[in-house]
Amino acid sequence: MKPLLEVKNLEVSFFQGKRQTRCTDRVSFDVKPGEILCLVGESGCGKSITALSILGLLSRAGRVTKGEILYQGRDLLKLREKELDAIRGREIAMIFQDIMYSLNPVFTIGNQMTEVIRRHLHYKQKDAEALSVELLQKTGITQPETVMRKFPHQLSGGMRQRVMIAMALACKPKLLIADEPTTALDVTIQLQIMQLLKQLRDETGMAILLITHDIGVVAEMADRVVVMYAGQCVEKAEARQLLESPAHPYTQALLKAVPGIHDDRSQRLASIPGTVPEEYQSMTGCRFAPRCPHGNVCCRNAQRVEIEPGHEVECCAILMRRQTNDAE
Amino acid sequence: MQSKHTPILTVRQLSKSYPEPEKNSLFRRGMNHAVQNVSFDLYSGETLGIVGESGCGKSTVARLVMGLETPDAGSVVFHDTRIDQLPERSLRPLRPRFQMVFQDSGSSLNSRKRVVDILREPMLYHRIVTKDKAEARIDELLDMVGLSPSTKQRYPHEFSGGQRQRICIAKALSLDPELIILDEPVSALDVSVQAQILNLLRDLQEKLGVAYLFIGHGLGAVHYISHRIAVMYRGRIVEMGDSEEVFRHPAHPYTRALLDAAPLADYDARERERIVLRGEIGHTDWTEGCAFRSRCPYASEECTCIGSAMTSVPGAPEHLSACMAGTQERGV
Repeated sequence: MKPLLEVKNLEVSFFQGKRQTRCTDRVSFDVKPGEILCLVGESGCGKSITALSILGLLSRAGRVTKGEILYQGRDLLKLREKELDAIRGREIAMIFQDIMYSLNPVFTIGNQMTEVIRRHLHYKQKDAEALSVELLQKTGITQPETVMRKFPHQLSGGMRQRVMIAMALACKPKLLIADEPTTALDVTIQLQIMQLLKQLRDETGMAILLITHDIGVVAEMADRVVVMYAGQCVEKAEARQLLESPAHPYTQALLKAVPGIHDDRSQRLASIPGTVPEEYQSMTGCRFAPRCPHGNVCCRNAQRVEIEPGHEVECCAILMRRQTNDAE
Repeated sequence: MQSKHTPILTVRQLSKSYPEPEKNSLFRRGMNHAVQNVSFDLYSGETLGIVGESGCGKSTVARLVMGLETPDAGSVVFHDTRIDQLPERSLRPLRPRFQMVFQDSGSSLNSRKRVVDILREPMLYHRIVTKDKAEARIDELLDMVGLSPSTKQRYPHEFSGGQRQRICIAKALSLDPELIILDEPVSALDVSVQAQILNLLRDLQEKLGVAYLFIGHGLGAVHYISHRIAVMYRGRIVEMGDSEEVFRHPAHPYTRALLDAAPLADYDARERERIVLRGEIGHTDWTEGCAFRSRCPYASEECTCIGSAMTSVPGAPEHLSACMAGTQERGV
């Protein structure tokens, strides 16, 4: 299937005067129509920056310095602001983690929803209102008319996220970018939102690029997964492959570091020693090497290996092992 | 270490409400019953975990135990001293014996002081060490929490979140407490760092025999660190018991729903059968009956009058549940 979105060798840099900080390095992945792709990693790994750069939403200091972002074959980086505006919201919609700041506190929900619909679809006020009610209903809000008259602060976090999702759905986007949509929510509400997103995906056939730090969310939602560490993609796989046979030492360690609710308590939790190096931007080769149990000198230049169809990993220890196996 | 049978902390029937503007009315004020009739014991060298969703009152319990809030009713007894009614002055000599670690390590450390000063001041104030021995004790403390003593001249902002949380733990430990109250100490941290801190807490407990009251919403983390667990819903403890027992055989439907909602790192788990709660924690002034009944899939008529008292689960006397509506016949 032809991918809907292709990110190729993306490098995003932030500039402070003349100082350039490369936040992501050779980030590549694709999203196929109707699939849920999870971008997973710890804070500061560059997953949100990657998502923001797709829609050209980086702050002024940030810029894509290399690579391309192809949406249905068109490079989004080469588009003018006006052309990009036609894609934002209509073709690709985005929802964020901090729902409080994503809604305007001084306008009612109805006001903000109809504005989106009128702006993008050029509906009349009345039709826009009818569509808003329908969309809110679709996201599981039982009294949409009442919610329309409310202000954001009168709604709970879960409700606000539902409103955001309803707004994002207004133009029937082909791709929804969801940046940690459930992180601020309680687990029972998180489950409701996750099930809602999956149900909407099944109904509308839109693809979802889901950004998260929670392996549990990945296990619940993902069709395919991209694991990021220190600005690089370290592993790409189908969700089942990744969860059942993680290949990269970082992915393996990350999966082991999550305390499960049915784990044996007497077993010590495996933690990853050390922290993400602060100056990782200037590191050459594998950036996980200093914390890696298999790390050695050969990790100087990391290379991508495909260990199974659809399962790619960037680790020299694995590459070496394969080469010795092949030689034998 | 003391015997298992004399608790170091006894909390009985603790309640606290806050006035809250009533919906649709500018002048009438309703009451938000943040904590209602909470009772538990905590033994030396033990960890009691309190889990629940936001707004369930778990942090208020922590603040009440610390004496940062005054309860409306009930008692907090630390060893033999009732501390909930004590004036600050009489409480102060007791303070070193119970300490607290907060979620936000950034704002709980004075950003204008070096780590060494942050750690020294409370020790000198409470006369734990003399001035000349303080320095050595600080090195020892930093070493204990896995930080290099050479970092003590730095300011808090020069550390990462995980390292700052280590400093907070060192600060709490500096006064040789018997009890540390940890209010969401790992919620703001990344998983790999979270695992480091959880392991550190467990090691320290083993070494020093300190008791923890661990408050959290991450079920996995609370399960890992706690010997016993109390599950809170809308200000009440709805289930309490041995950590493994509660998570393997949840007796209360809310506990079960909470466990069902926790995403598992297992691909096939997405297909599992589970309770999906509808709606959200509402605001009602119920003081009678089961607080969970509006969302409970098993709720019946009798839940309006019973369900606030805790009773033992058949076959497990230490395992208490507030759900009386026939836990056994449902096979929950």
